[in-house]
Amino acid sequence: MKTRARLPRLVACGATLALALGLSACGGDGGGGSSDDGKIRVLVYGDATNKVEKRIVDTFNKTSDVKVVLDTIPGADYQKKLQTIISTPQAPDVFFNWGGGSIKPFVKADLLMPLDDLIKKNPDLENKFLPSVFNNAVVDGKPYGVPMRGTQPVLLFHNKKVLDEAGVKPPKTWDELLDAVGKLKDRGVTPIALGGGDIWPTQMWFQYLYDRVAGPELFQKAVGGDKSAWESADSKKALGMIRELVDAGAFGKNYDSVKYTNGGSPALLASGKAGFELMGSWYYSQQQTDAEKFAEKDLGYTPFPTVEGGKGDPANVAGNTNNYYSVMKKTKHPEAVAEFLKLMYSDEFVKAQLDIGNLPTTTNTDRFIDSSATPEYSRFQYDLVADAPSFQLSWDQAYPQKASSSMHQAIQQFFNGQLDADGFIKAMQALPTE
Amino acid sequence: MTTQITSARPAAGPRKESRRRPAASSATQVGRPGFAWALPAAVFFALFAIAPLIMVVVLSFMSWDGLGSPEFVGTDNWSRLMDDPVMLKSIWLTLLLTVLGVVVQTPLSIVLGVWAAGHQRNRAVLSVIYFIPLLLSATAVSVLWRALLDPNFGIPADAGWLFGDGNLFGEQATAIGVLAFVSTWQFTPFHTLIYQGAARAIPQVLYQAAEIDGAGRYRQFFHITLPQLRNSMITSMILMIVGGLTTFETVLILTQGGPGTDTTISAYYMYDKAFKGFDFGAGSAIALALVVAATVISLIVVRVSGYDKMRSSMEGVS
Repeated sequence: MKTRARLPRLVACGATLALALGLSACGGDGGGGSSDDGKIRVLVYGDATNKVEKRIVDTFNKTSDVKVVLDTIPGADYQKKLQTIISTPQAPDVFFNWGGGSIKPFVKADLLMPLDDLIKKNPDLENKFLPSVFNNAVVDGKPYGVPMRGTQPVLLFHNKKVLDEAGVKPPKTWDELLDAVGKLKDRGVTPIALGGGDIWPTQMWFQYLYDRVAGPELFQKAVGGDKSAWESADSKKALGMIRELVDAGAFGKNYDSVKYTNGGSPALLASGKAGFELMGSWYYSQQQTDAEKFAEKDLGYTPFPTVEGGKGDPANVAGNTNNYYSVMKKTKHPEAVAEFLKLMYSDEFVKAQLDIGNLPTTTNTDRFIDSSATPEYSRFQYDLVADAPSFQLSWDQAYPQKASSSMHQAIQQFFNGQLDADGFIKAMQALPTE
Repeated sequence: MTTQITSARPAAGPRKESRRRPAASSATQVGRPGFAWALPAAVFFALFAIAPLIMVVVLSFMSWDGLGSPEFVGTDNWSRLMDDPVMLKSIWLTLLLTVLGVVVQTPLSIVLGVWAAGHQRNRAVLSVIYFIPLLLSATAVSVLWRALLDPNFGIPADAGWLFGDGNLFGEQATAIGVLAFVSTWQFTPFHTLIYQGAARAIPQVLYQAAEIDGAGRYRQFFHITLPQLRNSMITSMILMIVGGLTTFETVLILTQGGPGTDTTISAYYMYDKAFKGFDFGAGSAIALALVVAATVISLIVVRVSGYDKMRSSMEGVS
């Protein structure tokens, strides 16, 4: 029965595709904006953080004549669905996004409202946020987003017990990391756990090494369309270091068969079969859920090691800077939207985010950290991000969405040796940048 | 059946109106299946198969990322696909996986089906257990096997002699092996069911006659059972081929087309182009190519096998 359903299903797939798109295209041509019903529609990614968003919306609606209606799209399909409805009359007034490349196509299609007028009237809309985070929603010199959740820098986590047994200290420099890899390997432990099956964890190693070796400018140039950046000496040096680490056996041999998303790689670290894992800051609460005892006793974390002679500031971080609210040009209530966005740096917002383990990136977050659920960890992260001269947005989010698939392929293929440095450089140069 | 209805028609009388409402005018008469009867199905088919297909054809000549209006670009999508090494590779991979599926699943399901058609002890219980994969969705099956094949905590961790370092998803050959294995595990029960039904329908007289002639069990299998299963075999193979050409979820969940593009089959490539890359033009072109390929291959199989003539395999039996 399953088999038989397949041909129709293929047709149905095409059908859904064509119909959904066909309809939305017609809608777009109709040119009808949303009718003014005195409401602002806000669209967010559906997950556990929605309870904060709901609370903020309730607070806003208590005092405002223009009411906010919150819609959520659950799970991983967010970007796909957003792209399908955004040029239709069903498009929201304000929507959740990842900044960077995730909104660039919308800016190009002239769908978004630059926020500089709102900021001119109320400079706090910019000043109340950490600059390294705010800047990731700036496209072509104009701000298009206001941070609205928590920051998620990538950190190097380790298992304290495993490191102790191997006589290894948490590495501060690249050489110390290589040294630790050797010692852990000698003890029969996989030095670094890596969920290569998901590919984006592999990408984190590229993000940090490129930033440490060449500074954030190289990637900025590349994503801005100057493809020669990829063949620079610094680029080749960073690739050489990745090669060295992989060839030293740092990730074992079967990392491409391991996944982060099904719990494979975190379990390696928690069970003492690996020493390190490079992962976003959500890893801490992930381990608290999956392996409570380990998280409490043996889970350690450090910033990514420094690279001697590298051009990048050792204080730079990489990861998911934050999520942003962007405003559609067609909105009928820009003033009310501005009032709503003000709540994104209110004390209530900051406290509610901290309560569920998120780390907001407002300047007043500092005051509330000590009363948060994990003060020490939150403090470490906040200082790291606040002091970072540059926050490298995840590569696949900085590039336009359509580049992500080819980028992931190149990253995986260079890592496992299917591509050499020149092959990787060519593949990255072939990525669309707009 | 047709003759019955036509012969009944004159009884309704020569008058014109009676021909229109034969059922109303005569209780004994069964209405002739007209177009109206097929209307619901036809509308459904037109709405959910023909119309989208036409749209896909149109979109395959357009450039569109989901924003704004599609732009006509002529055969640009098609010529890009022709020059795309990944597209070519994906066609080979699709064919390889399809052939692997047919070659592995057909003998397995014939043997199991014929066995399940018998009357041995424990057969019913074992058959039920064996059919369980059929009840699971492809998604569930894929998630299950991805976890079972985890190199550190799954089967490979305890069977190093067989799996080596367990990097099943990190190399092309083993990744394809996993895909073929999981499809086999999931779909063999379905084909077994086809063969079980067909094997049960083989008249016992044939076996009795063979026994009198002194044929052993193997001769009976090769000279009676197999030839009698011919039509079922064709049915099953067409389903396998069409299924193989459109396999998608297994790849999406197990390998995501990787490592690199080493398991990117055509249906997955379509998804990748359309929904990850927002290149709906190219995605539609691949979709169309797949529909055409699946139709052509099915037609060829039907023609070559003589299935379209529906020749009875029971000649001389009844």
